[in-house]
Amino acid sequence: MNVLVVLAIILLGLMVIVGGASGVRSFISLFLNGIILVVTVFFMLDTATNILLLTMFACVGLSAVNLFYINGINRKTMAAFLATFMTLSLLLGVIYRVTDVTMIQGFSEEETEELDAYNLLVGIDYIQVAAAVIIMSTIGAIMDVAISITSAMQEYERYSKATKRELFHYGMNIGRDILGTDTNTLFFAFFGGYLGLLIWFKDLSYTFGDIVNAKVFGSEVLTIFTAGVGIALVIPIAAFTSIMLKQMIR
Amino acid sequence: MKKWLAGIAFVFCILSIYTVYHNHSWYQTAIVTVIEAKVIETTSLQQDQLYEQQLTVEDHNGQIGILTNTYSNSRAFDQKYQRGDELFVKGDQIIGVKRDKYLVIAAWVFIFFLVLIGRKQGIRSLISFALNVFILFMAISVYVRYEKVNLLVSSAVATVLFTVISIIFVSGRTAKTTAAIIATLLGTSIAFIVALVAMLLTNQQGLQYEEMQFLTRPYHIVFLAGLLIGSLGAVMDVAITMTSALFSMQHTATLQEIKQAGQTIGKDIMGTITNILFFAYVSGAIPMMLLYFKNGLPFGYTLSMNLSLEVARALAGGIGVVSTIPISIYVSLWLMKRKQVA
Repeated sequence: MNVLVVLAIILLGLMVIVGGASGVRSFISLFLNGIILVVTVFFMLDTATNILLLTMFACVGLSAVNLFYINGINRKTMAAFLATFMTLSLLLGVIYRVTDVTMIQGFSEEETEELDAYNLLVGIDYIQVAAAVIIMSTIGAIMDVAISITSAMQEYERYSKATKRELFHYGMNIGRDILGTDTNTLFFAFFGGYLGLLIWFKDLSYTFGDIVNAKVFGSEVLTIFTAGVGIALVIPIAAFTSIMLKQMIR
Repeated sequence: MKKWLAGIAFVFCILSIYTVYHNHSWYQTAIVTVIEAKVIETTSLQQDQLYEQQLTVEDHNGQIGILTNTYSNSRAFDQKYQRGDELFVKGDQIIGVKRDKYLVIAAWVFIFFLVLIGRKQGIRSLISFALNVFILFMAISVYVRYEKVNLLVSSAVATVLFTVISIIFVSGRTAKTTAAIIATLLGTSIAFIVALVAMLLTNQQGLQYEEMQFLTRPYHIVFLAGLLIGSLGAVMDVAITMTSALFSMQHTATLQEIKQAGQTIGKDIMGTITNILFFAYVSGAIPMMLLYFKNGLPFGYTLSMNLSLEVARALAGGIGVVSTIPISIYVSLWLMKRKQVA
């Protein structure tokens, strides 16, 4: 038996016990996300593809699965979808420029020893790939914040006659409450993933200067910072799209 | 008070950026600035193109020199340098790019957005982030420095510290904090133990450690420690969300109603939080997967080589997340009952 199969079966079992039908849906969505990710990688292989544009398509697909498939198509999921899309487009443009300037794309000296056997000149623009990776690492958290805000706002407006302004502030407050926990989730996930590398830096007795200028370290730190900025940025955007859709539909 | 703090932050911001742009004397390696870059030769390859660049550079004393550099369209392992880039050099060999200044600027952008939008909560998460980074570095230093220290033990100690500090920062010192801390520690332990048992039972079949081969240490231990820390954030997220919702109903609802509300909230959040973990882990494998595919390696091999550890981490984290839902409910109810009796 394979470790991954065992873990997947246990996760599915737990999701069914704790969540019933919606647990099954959560599990399937995890699976669909994996498929979309692999398909995206396949499209990236064609050097003629504009990877940034492709990433936006992938993000649309991923948010459709995670918002519409899990919660159905309605006003709050539409608002969350729009907010996710707007935030990610905004970030993607900026991140692409940042990767270009900071030169953190591709592989570092630390990793390339094992890559000796491979041809590294593959014609794919790794700057765009790096931007895509940073965006995709945070999409889960951005969608989570967006849907939490739009669904709380919809509940709130049902029971109160809040003005647009009050509603916006309510949404912002909900967002601020999740900001701390969601950034935490991502930070620790990244820490866990980078642990091997950090130990290795220490083992090689890299100086502080070596570490902060290293390519891998730069790309990891920028990923963390982008995640934080993304999670913060989606809060006002989701509060805004929620109000916008409410007015458009009425 | 607020303006006063913002003023100090602003001064710090300007000072740190100025410093990092003028810190060349901190480095023992020579640093040069590119003042002109021009392509002198282009070679076409089967899938890519190579460019040879002639760089006119200036060092700190104003001395001009010429360096050559080769880059490709893909830039997977080479760099295209432009006017203004600062490079570390040894002789006429470029050994790195000076990136510290960009990181400092990015850090300020990060701080600015978190504080501007998150206000008090933003500042709190920044402080807890800083403390957590400090604990992480301490744990790693202790582990690397002392041979007798086991990585799993030092990660476990770090995990307890991370949990207590982060939760107190997010929700203050109340009854729900106790509940969230207990639920987080139990949930994380479950994620860890399930992963460990699954690995032992299957003889680690299906896990490909090649991507960690650069480590001179037992990599399955490093992997397990990473799994423990990685699951922690997500489990904490669930525990905090659940306990704060449940404790806010404490005075208006019966225990039975609170339990039911907990189950509904749990259903809503378990999928999204597992997804956060999934994306955070799996996306990082994309660059290497592209390289494998482009080098003609088979589909199954590429997937298992690059994704096995990431998927295992995501699944174990998911197991932690889902089991934390009932744990949070029972721990909260138990604490509420105890208070009612007393």
